[in-house]
Amino acid sequence: MPSKLRILLSICLITFLLSGLLVACTPSATEEPTPATGKADLPIEVMDQAGRLVKVSEMPEKIISLAPSNTEILYALGLEDKLVGVTEYCDYPEIAKQKPQIGGFSTVDIEKVVDIEPDLILATNIHKDEIIPQLERLGLTVAVLNPRTVDEVLEAINLVGQLTGKAEEASRLTTEMQNRIQAVTDKTAGIPEAQRPRVFYILWHDPLMTVGSETRIHEIMEKAGGINIAQDLTDEYPKISLEATIMANPQVIIAGSGHGSSQDMPFSYALTEPRLAEVAARQNNRVYEIDADLTSRPGPRIIDGLEKLAGFIHPELFKESP
Amino acid sequence: MNITPPIHFLRWRSRIYGILGLLVLLAAVVILATAIGSVQIPFLTTSSILISKLPLVELTPTWAATMETIIFEIRLPRVILAGLVGAALAIAGATYQGLFRNPLADPYLIGVAQGAALGAVIGFLLPPSWHSVGFGIIPLLAFIGALVSTAVVYSLARVGKTLPVTTLILAGVALGALLASIVSYLIISSGEKIHGIMFWLMSSFSLSQWSEAVVVLPYVLLGVVIILLCARPLNVMQLDEEQAQQLGINVERLKLVLLAAATLITAAAVSFVGIIGFVGIIIPHAVRLIWGADHRFLLPLSVLTGAIFLILADLIARTALAPAEIPIGVITAICGAPFFLYLLRRRKKVIF
Amino acid sequence: MVNIEMRNATLGYGRTIVLRDLSFQVRPGEMVGLIGPNGCGKSTIIRALSRIIPPHSGKILLDGQDVTKISRLELARLLGVVPQLPILPSAFTAFEIVLMGRNPHLGLFQYEGPKEMTIAWQAMEKTGTQSLAERRISELSGGEIQGLLIARVLAQETKAILLDEPTANLDIGRQIEILGLIKNLCRQDNLAVLAALHDLNLAVQYCDRLILINNGHIHAEGTPKEVITAENIAEVYGAENCVYTHPSNGLPCVLLNAGDGKVAKPNDILKEA
Repeated sequence: MPSKLRILLSICLITFLLSGLLVACTPSATEEPTPATGKADLPIEVMDQAGRLVKVSEMPEKIISLAPSNTEILYALGLEDKLVGVTEYCDYPEIAKQKPQIGGFSTVDIEKVVDIEPDLILATNIHKDEIIPQLERLGLTVAVLNPRTVDEVLEAINLVGQLTGKAEEASRLTTEMQNRIQAVTDKTAGIPEAQRPRVFYILWHDPLMTVGSETRIHEIMEKAGGINIAQDLTDEYPKISLEATIMANPQVIIAGSGHGSSQDMPFSYALTEPRLAEVAARQNNRVYEIDADLTSRPGPRIIDGLEKLAGFIHPELFKESP
Repeated sequence: MNITPPIHFLRWRSRIYGILGLLVLLAAVVILATAIGSVQIPFLTTSSILISKLPLVELTPTWAATMETIIFEIRLPRVILAGLVGAALAIAGATYQGLFRNPLADPYLIGVAQGAALGAVIGFLLPPSWHSVGFGIIPLLAFIGALVSTAVVYSLARVGKTLPVTTLILAGVALGALLASIVSYLIISSGEKIHGIMFWLMSSFSLSQWSEAVVVLPYVLLGVVIILLCARPLNVMQLDEEQAQQLGINVERLKLVLLAAATLITAAAVSFVGIIGFVGIIIPHAVRLIWGADHRFLLPLSVLTGAIFLILADLIARTALAPAEIPIGVITAICGAPFFLYLLRRRKKVIF
Repeated sequence: MVNIEMRNATLGYGRTIVLRDLSFQVRPGEMVGLIGPNGCGKSTIIRALSRIIPPHSGKILLDGQDVTKISRLELARLLGVVPQLPILPSAFTAFEIVLMGRNPHLGLFQYEGPKEMTIAWQAMEKTGTQSLAERRISELSGGEIQGLLIARVLAQETKAILLDEPTANLDIGRQIEILGLIKNLCRQDNLAVLAALHDLNLAVQYCDRLILINNGHIHAEGTPKEVITAENIAEVYGAENCVYTHPSNGLPCVLLNAGDGKVAKPNDILKEA
């Protein structure tokens, strides 16, 4: 049968392939080993949020951030002088935009990174498959921050503190953040379900997308005393049909807005979509807009997001923060 | 009567010069592409680094280690891989066009691309612990996917002992459509893994490593050698199959060999960088326009032209809008189509 | 010296049988004409002889060897075919097409050398197609292409040649030229030649023997005088009273009379055979 020949051929080729990969060990160009200084540097070993063991043998002097949230954490810990590379989306604080840019959302200009010779790179989950192996092959140290819950955001901040010798500052920051969370949840924890408003968070309007139960946004909505109408959806950023939204009759609609001219479209949509005119949120004028960075970015400002949401959802309990 | 045949019009000499010229151009383009990037490195430094890497050459480095890393670990493997993929796709395209006697044939006609995509997507959806099998489960599965889908198409299209070419194309298109829809479905339901998948599907040479080039090379080399050996029979195959058989060609065996070799090359090419369109169909035609349809020259010229083209396209992709990278498929289309139209207008002669 | 032979061969496509129990021979040095009405299976016979289609039963022998048992390359060295309406790639030049005739004599790694070029060139000279050498196929007329196909089979240097309507598109001058050439080669080089011909008069003038096919079997076989008779023509073609004697050489010739569809009265000058 001709298929036999083809199968045989395929097997031979696969064997060839597998043997090829055994042979193919690329000797990576060795980075000059940093000479040991006179100080007794404890090599710091930390488990990052991707389960990887990160070893830092010297206090990092040059840090690169591959995500806006990481950049915010670094600024919050007072490490801006050591920050030598950011992405083009790193816009908070404003001054971060002036740092050298080394990449976009999931793309990284490896050449630039290598040229900078960073001691530490803070990456995220997105970079795990392709970019991080490449960086490590080139001898660079990478730590992955991937907080999936608010608690993990605090962990991430502490992690960075440990890696950079700012453990104290990190601890102070996270305690403060913890306190602010507490201030909200103390008031909302006791609210019975009947008095928790149904909240619809619009991520984007076309297609209509919201947040599922596995997200941080969902978590802070709950902490703010609301019920996510999409809580039964387990996808992170599921599409939701207009019908389902109308059926759920949300009492509060919150739209995440970005910066830039067309970025408040979800908000205008929420206000103007005629088929949503009958839902409680529109009837009672409870459609709000929030800076998406406050809710989406897993950084220190997520607490700002929490507080703002609390103000929208339970205005009777909280004054909206400016 | 004229005794000596006027073979000058066979244009062998000009075609051989073409091959030599392209070889030189290829070397120049490789050096050029390695010298340009988002970090400025003086040309002299680049040349010195490249020369120092040649065997038996000892040069004391006067440059920073980072420069060497950038040149040798980041740029050069990328350029080499782009060249290999360009060469592979071009010669595979030329082979398919010759095999099917159809100017619209490209390396992805019989479902290779969709098979590779399906394999890659499956690889992405497997649990992460599988990902570090060898140098990566994704290229491996993409490769296997490409081969398996071609094998399926081949068995579907066979009628008794013969392989009717039109049936092959139809089966390939049908299977390709089916696989593409499965791929779409898997992507939609992939959730957060969509990043990695889109990265592969968008076809980029960034993050190319030596290990990738080293693995792709033997397959491409093997396939190219086999196809070049079949160049003269492939010429004869341009007659209809009956005549080719009457001139002594074992048509079925030739089809199988060429199909296998071209598929092997294409599978290796797409397994690491995804599906790059346009190269496989247009480069052979451009070569035909300039140098004619004799496969003994068409094939090697396609190899060289394809390599040069894709290296330059990749160069533009990473420098035009730096630091952002344009997907290379966009570059190949934007740069290639007008050029081809221009060639077509200048030389209004029959090329197929 | 190669013998073409069919022994009790039954030929067809798939389940359709076209010819049954066919037996004939073409000996070296003789030119045999294959004639018969449209669709009687002339092309089928040529395809079967060149191993394009396998016989349902019976044997096809070339030089005593079963054609299905020898390699295609070997077969192509022994037997050359001039097809009827071939597809030719339009981007190649005439010379390159003729040069392809040398394919059976070249190994895998070989390119055409000066020897091959010369053979092809001479073949083109014999067929009067040298002037076409640099032209592309797309520019040539049907008649010119036919000349090329003959040149190609000559370049193939085989001992047996099959021709399927080799002169269909040629004017009368060229017909005489080409068939004369083939006849001469047949004699000089002792080739076994089988030509499927439409034109009965040409067949009579140039072939040593004729095989008349009808209804899936051989209706008549023999010299032109034996085969082209009024009865045979009437039985096979349904054309009555068409066979006369050629005034110059006494061979039968076929003349048709349109008239009003009825049989024409014999002319005094031309006597019925």
